[in-house]
Amino acid sequence: MKVAFFTGCVSKGACPELYASAKAIAQPLGLELEELTEAPCTGAGVLSEQNPELADSLNGLTLAMAESKGADLMTICSTCQGVLSNHNYRLKTEAQRLGRVNATIGDQGYRYSGSTNVKHLLWMLFEDIGLDRVRAAITRKLTGLKIAPFYGCYILRPVEALGLRERPERKTYLEQLIALLGAEPVEYRGATKCCGFPMLTFNREASLAMGGKHIIEAKEKGADLLVTPCPLCHLNLDGQQPDAARVMKRKIDVPIFHLPQLLGLAFGLSPQELRLDRHVVPTAAALEKVELKV
Amino acid sequence: MICDHDVLVLGAGLAGMRAALEAARNGADVAIVTKVHPVRSHSNAAQGGINAALGEGDTWESHAFDTVKGSDYLADQDAVEIMCSEAPRDIVEFEHMGVIFYRGPDGKLGTRAFGGASQARTYFVGDITGQALLVTLYDQILKAGVRVYEEWFATTLLIMDGSCRGLVALEMLTGELHLLRSKAVIDAAGGLGRVFEPSTNALICTGDGYALAYRAGAPLMDMEMVQYHPTTLAGSGFLMTEAARGEGAYLLDRDGKRFLEKYAPSKMELAARDVISRAETTEIAEGHGIDGNVLLDCRHLGAEKILKRLPQIHEMALDYLGIDIIKEPCPVRPGMHYQMGGVKTDSNGATSVPGLYAAGEVACVSVHGGNRLGANSLLDTIVFGRRSGKASVEYARNVVALQGGEELLRAEQQRINDLLGRPYTGETHARLRLELATMMDQKCGVYRDEAGLEEALQKVLELRKRYERVAVGDKGRVFNQALEFVLELDYMLDCAEAIVRSAIVRKESRGAQARTDYPDRNDAQWLKHVLVTYRPGAQPVISYLPVTITQWKPEVRTY
Amino acid sequence: MQFTIEVGRYNPEGTYAPQAARVESYPPPWNASPPRHVQTYTVELPEHAVVLDALIAIREYQDESLAVRCACRSAICGSCAMWINGHANLACKSKLSEFTENGKTRVECPPSMPVIRDLIWDMGPFFAKHRNVRPWLEQKQPVPGPLEEYRVANESMEELIQEVSCISCGACLMDCESYAVNANFLGPQALAQAYRYAADPRDEITNERLRSYSESGGVWDCTHCYECVAQCPKNVAPLEQILKLRKMAVDAGFTNNAGTRHADAFANSVKHSGRLNELTLMPKSLGFNIVEQLRSIPSAINMMRAGKLPPLIHPVIPGIERIRTIFQRVGGRFK
Repeated sequence: MKVAFFTGCVSKGACPELYASAKAIAQPLGLELEELTEAPCTGAGVLSEQNPELADSLNGLTLAMAESKGADLMTICSTCQGVLSNHNYRLKTEAQRLGRVNATIGDQGYRYSGSTNVKHLLWMLFEDIGLDRVRAAITRKLTGLKIAPFYGCYILRPVEALGLRERPERKTYLEQLIALLGAEPVEYRGATKCCGFPMLTFNREASLAMGGKHIIEAKEKGADLLVTPCPLCHLNLDGQQPDAARVMKRKIDVPIFHLPQLLGLAFGLSPQELRLDRHVVPTAAALEKVELKV
Repeated sequence: MICDHDVLVLGAGLAGMRAALEAARNGADVAIVTKVHPVRSHSNAAQGGINAALGEGDTWESHAFDTVKGSDYLADQDAVEIMCSEAPRDIVEFEHMGVIFYRGPDGKLGTRAFGGASQARTYFVGDITGQALLVTLYDQILKAGVRVYEEWFATTLLIMDGSCRGLVALEMLTGELHLLRSKAVIDAAGGLGRVFEPSTNALICTGDGYALAYRAGAPLMDMEMVQYHPTTLAGSGFLMTEAARGEGAYLLDRDGKRFLEKYAPSKMELAARDVISRAETTEIAEGHGIDGNVLLDCRHLGAEKILKRLPQIHEMALDYLGIDIIKEPCPVRPGMHYQMGGVKTDSNGATSVPGLYAAGEVACVSVHGGNRLGANSLLDTIVFGRRSGKASVEYARNVVALQGGEELLRAEQQRINDLLGRPYTGETHARLRLELATMMDQKCGVYRDEAGLEEALQKVLELRKRYERVAVGDKGRVFNQALEFVLELDYMLDCAEAIVRSAIVRKESRGAQARTDYPDRNDAQWLKHVLVTYRPGAQPVISYLPVTITQWKPEVRTY
Repeated sequence: MQFTIEVGRYNPEGTYAPQAARVESYPPPWNASPPRHVQTYTVELPEHAVVLDALIAIREYQDESLAVRCACRSAICGSCAMWINGHANLACKSKLSEFTENGKTRVECPPSMPVIRDLIWDMGPFFAKHRNVRPWLEQKQPVPGPLEEYRVANESMEELIQEVSCISCGACLMDCESYAVNANFLGPQALAQAYRYAADPRDEITNERLRSYSESGGVWDCTHCYECVAQCPKNVAPLEQILKLRKMAVDAGFTNNAGTRHADAFANSVKHSGRLNELTLMPKSLGFNIVEQLRSIPSAINMMRAGKLPPLIHPVIPGIERIRTIFQRVGGRFK
């Protein structure tokens, strides 16, 4: 299955383990990744807020690039998913807006006609690749692990642009996937809440308290690790975890996995291939539970 | 606890807050006593708009005539003249306060059509006009720093030496009773919709203000004039604004016919509310309705107009009936909505009890007479709220602050303790209220007759006796709502009695009073107000006041 | 139809019915909120019934001690906001059939708010935040005469209908994550009302407002998570108003804050390389705030140790000219 692969910035920057593991699981899933190498950053909502027209144009360009490849646009980041969905929704429903975007990008070799679907890898597993294919690729069940899902705001809200009215099941894909991979999903309130990343530079204490609160809640419900489809969440939950522990005045030490890393483990790939040795919070203790060494 | 102020305002809706603001501006130490947070007041449910003769070519005399005719000539014309002539300044004042009224292309205030009006003069904000006015006024109260005793429930007015000197209130948070003393009290405690079932009114509209004033000796006037709103949502009874018809919606029978051709051929869906409610009731009784409802059809208005001008009712029909009024007609029926009658006041809000003022729905000046025009209630609240605010301060200047009143506080405490101590006998306030309210709708609703009204009176008196056996099902101190509801039922029974007695006395049909045994209006004998005055331990006294006529001789009223 | 309701009750006087079973405490940071005594009721209601219908039925016919604020029953008074199955909603707008999970619906006063009794909470902090944004018109001078309205375009009034629809129910603040960790944050409702007045063409003190809303506890303390948009029963979409306020504030020159520097650094990075440069984003956002700069160093070291620091020379994506052209054309202040 061919997809227009939108990597997002962080998987090529501070979370190279995400890019590596995403590429590694493409083959078992039968995914042909056509990388959109010339697509710009979505702006992560920051640009949308400060200059809506600029963000429309940048994202319109990305959507047009996917359209020209004749494939759905696949994201591996909740934030990319949310921002692209928001802009796509507006461009699909407001003809004037689309017109302005095409006027801006039209002479750059791309025009957007509004037909692209934006889907996160998480959704594609259920809706396009199909669970049968996923099951068939599993060679190592993750039995014994208690895994807490952490969605990331922008893959859950706002509801309209993400198609959640039509497909409310998208709100439970992570739990379903965890169970499918043989592990036990942990139920806790923080699963759908904000990690605090957008505020990291505005109010560090508050930002880290947010993320810290959720990890601690999951830990107290028995979680061995958290899995997240968003590398920006990963940066706050993993990258900043030692600092969050300081703010919360608690030891945390809960590893945070990227979604493709979890899939990769279940598909039999090694922790090294999946760069599970390149986290700030060590993953060794969790991996031991499924008899793996990092 | 005992607190002293110059002026106390009971109720924090539009009338109450406007009165308080005016009192504050006139230098008084004023405080508001309210049983709910100000923005919860039922003023927020008014949807369609507020009338004023502000536009080009409009005159306040035209507005006044429409109001007088709409009232079926029972309104006091001097008071109507005051309300309509002062309306333009009051509307503009609210605009200056920040209300986000609709504008025409010239940036000036713009209007929509409304029932009973000879020209469009209803100013509005979408279909949330009441909400918009209320929150803006609340913001002004914040700015002025007016003290609010929030979630304090008034249990009695303090009358000493024949004048009103304050009130006793239950602080819900702590269960403590407090004595609030003042030189004047403005009763702006709102309507009594819960005396009827169904009703568009909120659960808090329990007639507190009528009963408190009544027991303090102020007569209640025109209580039989209870307005049934023609378009309340089937089942729930929620208000579906008249503005829908103002924007052009039709009322249809089961065959899709606009039946109002038979009853109001000229104004059709924009006739006066009592006329339309009677028309619907008749059609339904004759089998032309659907499951006891008629249909409100907005489809031809188009999605854009509905979503822009009527978003709240669009959402309501969708939420509570699953009906999209853009695509389907919506079942509606007449539901009790507004009390034209109330505490008799002059046009400065003064009642017959010195120091006691009233404004808003609870008052009867009377500007609405036998039937209120849509969008005149919001106007009533702000004009007479302002006037009573000012008048009460002028009165208070000549009053010496009271010492004493503790005996009343003690007596009230005893009364409440006795109430709390009643043993459970099987009677609950909820069951009693439902019996009362369903009966009132059946026997004292759109159509009435002697036999039904006499039965109603007997029932009210019976329920009064049974009330003595109602126990309070919660004995806590903090936020004892059961106690509050039992006290409210007491007020509702007084209101019901006044309504029924007045309806029995008026042997004619006028405005909202439609008697099948006296189907015609009888100006010769009944161009007068009916008043009910409380007598402790005895039957209330009925008396009459002539209607003040200035410019408009009563005529036949057709639409 | 039969419905089962679980009510998380709280009585400051400590009395509970013997049937009030499970006691539930809340996880940090809400462990200070008193534990609820959970009592289960069943009610018989029509299938369209809402949660409030159930609570009223319980209060009227089963248990008069159940305390809940309610008035209009039709989502205009804002009294009945509470946690329903763990998320803030109006009880009068929540259909029992939609909210039944595992055979029951759970209601309680959320631990994010101080509880008074049962479902009644102390709205003092909520209304205090509202008051703090100076939510009243400071009239633009000169004020027109007593029979003359301010002349304004209808669009400017319609723009504000969304914010004026706010019924102060508190659902947004109940579920606001920023508020949960930072009580200083003004919160979604207050900031939505702040926008309502900042955007009113008849207001005199717009600049003063924008300055104060840009300070600590204001618009830049919002974590942009859309919870308030999802939970608001009146479609006020408070976050959208906060974002508009941010833009207004920056456009008015209130740029001496991490938020503006963050946006500038972000935009410059994308314009230059097509991508976000995480390495420089943090220090550029913090500007001259030495304390914060120092605070951010330990995590930078952790990232470096894990091999997660992005390359010092940030690569430029192919086709960057397109991006730069877009910036030239519609970049506004980011040109």
